[in-house]
Amino acid sequence: MFRVKNNEFVIPGQLVGTDIRHDSNCFREGGNVYSSVQGLARIEDNTLKIIPSSGGYTPKEGDVVIGVVKDVLHGKWLVDIDASYPATMDGEEVTRNPQRVDLRDYFRVGDILSAKIFSVDEIHASKLGRPSKLEGGYIININPKRVPRVIGKNKSMVNMLREKTNSRIVVGQNGRVWINSANTAFVVSVVRKIEREAQTSGLTDRIEKLLNNA
Amino acid sequence: MKNPEIELIKNGKRLDGRNLDELREIKMEVGVLKKAAGSAYVEWGKNKVLAAVYGPRSLYPAFLKDPTKAMLRCIYNLAPFSVDDRKKPGPDRRSVEISKVSTEALESVVMTERYPNSVIDVYTEILQADAGTRCTALTAASLALANAGIPMKDLVAACSAGKVSGEVVLDPMKEEDNYGDADLPLAIIPRRNEVVLLQLDGRLTREEFDRAYQLAFDGALKVYEMQKKTLQDAMKKSAVVGD
Amino acid sequence: MEIETYLKRDHIRNIVAAGKRVDNRAFDEQRPLEITKGFVADKADGSALVRLGNTLVLAGVSMDIGEPYADSPTEGVLTTSAEFRPMASPTFETGPPDENSIELARVVDRGIRESKSIATEKLFIEEDLVWVVFVDIHILDHDGNLIDAAGIASIAALLDARLPKLEDGKIIRGEWEGKLPMTCVPVPCTFAKISDKVMLDPCLDEEYAMDARLTVTTTDTINAMQKGGRGSFTTEEIKYAVDTAFKKSKEIRKLLG
Repeated sequence: MFRVKNNEFVIPGQLVGTDIRHDSNCFREGGNVYSSVQGLARIEDNTLKIIPSSGGYTPKEGDVVIGVVKDVLHGKWLVDIDASYPATMDGEEVTRNPQRVDLRDYFRVGDILSAKIFSVDEIHASKLGRPSKLEGGYIININPKRVPRVIGKNKSMVNMLREKTNSRIVVGQNGRVWINSANTAFVVSVVRKIEREAQTSGLTDRIEKLLNNA
Repeated sequence: MKNPEIELIKNGKRLDGRNLDELREIKMEVGVLKKAAGSAYVEWGKNKVLAAVYGPRSLYPAFLKDPTKAMLRCIYNLAPFSVDDRKKPGPDRRSVEISKVSTEALESVVMTERYPNSVIDVYTEILQADAGTRCTALTAASLALANAGIPMKDLVAACSAGKVSGEVVLDPMKEEDNYGDADLPLAIIPRRNEVVLLQLDGRLTREEFDRAYQLAFDGALKVYEMQKKTLQDAMKKSAVVGD
Repeated sequence: MEIETYLKRDHIRNIVAAGKRVDNRAFDEQRPLEITKGFVADKADGSALVRLGNTLVLAGVSMDIGEPYADSPTEGVLTTSAEFRPMASPTFETGPPDENSIELARVVDRGIRESKSIATEKLFIEEDLVWVVFVDIHILDHDGNLIDAAGIASIAALLDARLPKLEDGKIIRGEWEGKLPMTCVPVPCTFAKISDKVMLDPCLDEEYAMDARLTVTTTDTINAMQKGGRGSFTTEEIKYAVDTAFKKSKEIRKLLG
């Protein structure tokens, strides 16, 4: 039986149900289920899920993230994706003979790339693939929880931002946003505005007006 | 330490006008720092305490890494200007002890097994001290951990009791701590009503201990209600509403 | 090199070359500055919380009585220290002050000391007994230009400071009599150099990209200067910094009251 309502805010240690299905943001003691983080409780498919209202990025299979190459090892790269867990990319992702080439010809320490997370293991270490080097441009860090808002439904928000400012923008699910633009400061200010006002409605219209007037 | 000039309790009222079983005024806020993963600021009477959390993050040197869980490090520090007679910067023996018992209190709730080989750092800075700093710091640390999204089994709420002029009192302030006969800080995990920090300094009879313990315990439960409200209010304020 | 450096350095250098700053400030523009004197007035004899952009610094003044220095037997004593609290940045660790923390404390101290902003001759109590002034800087949140934030917080805390009550040669804590005597208000202005451009009040991102840094502390004279970083400055750049420091410090002084 659920002990909280849909869309109720919960705190760590709060009883959310008894003998219910739940996600990994909850834990069980006997038949009781408690939340382990602060966030919004949602009941979907008869399962209790918690959307954390804070915390860093937790890697998920299928996510596109922006990373920085930290180290070049034998046969693979170590990539920083601003998460509490490591991420690696195998040499096979870019070449058929990773042992025969110098991987630094492809990506060296300090290079910035966008990549897809192909798998995440039980200690949350990710394997990345399909990399794209991002050259030039500027990176800001936003709250990973706000990423969906910055991207928008069917990418509507980020596409509007790209077209109206004639910029290249890549939004990583890990909260890193890469911006290549003639007016970076303006694009950054718009992204920050979306991040700040993510909780309000009518945001899309307001942003559209702002972009039209610029 | 006895000071016959100060009457600490008069007609059932204390120096600051409180009843024997009354808490000082407490204010709490979360998310006050930009760089830290989570943070909290608590004013408890004249105490002013800032707490910040970093991590989970990489742990060096390598020999400290534990493949089964994260290391939890809570560090308590008094700013030099936080006390009447300036305290030299750097950890002293008292700070080291408080850091240890605070870390142990939090270890009972933080789900460190989720983050092997890493460290979760909790820093508590006492900016102004007026007795009960370790309880304020632990209360703030708990809020900062929740603010950082670190998974926990419960919050930790703390409060202390003391004995002053022969009477057991809740939440001693500085004069009461200096001239009193006992100080009993206590921290609980509210959900299970269990104690994760308990220290005593002074002289209490068995009956006095029972009374002081109950006062501190009930005080901690009141603190927990404030922590809950602080976190709930902060979440409501920055909620993402669907578009 | 830190990860953040990779993410920011090239881009910032590019926009600076194009004559802009990453947050669209003018090259001689400071970030918003907020000063709260007496933030911890119950125990500290003087204090000030300063927010410079997103950098947050708390400075406290603690007064004590003690022996004067042998070479200035009728003057009070000043000691300045700084702690880069680990909560302020993922890069700060616990432990004794490192070279950055020591340099910052000494540069801030120099501005206060060389300008004679504290009327130390008024801190003489009796033979072998003077007031000792401790300025303790607590860095709480690091978003660049810690020197200016700390320097401004320190002088604000000194302007806020009161003298503890003295009775029979003993300090009565919790009671004060009079203010710490101050004569002038030294203000530091720090500039970052990125390729051939010089800009006031670097934010953290600009610090990741900078080649060198120059701090100039002024009253109506120049009282302290400190160049930091591996790069170099030309004579014109230094003159520009000094002129700008004199100008900007006047504006900051108004906020210090």
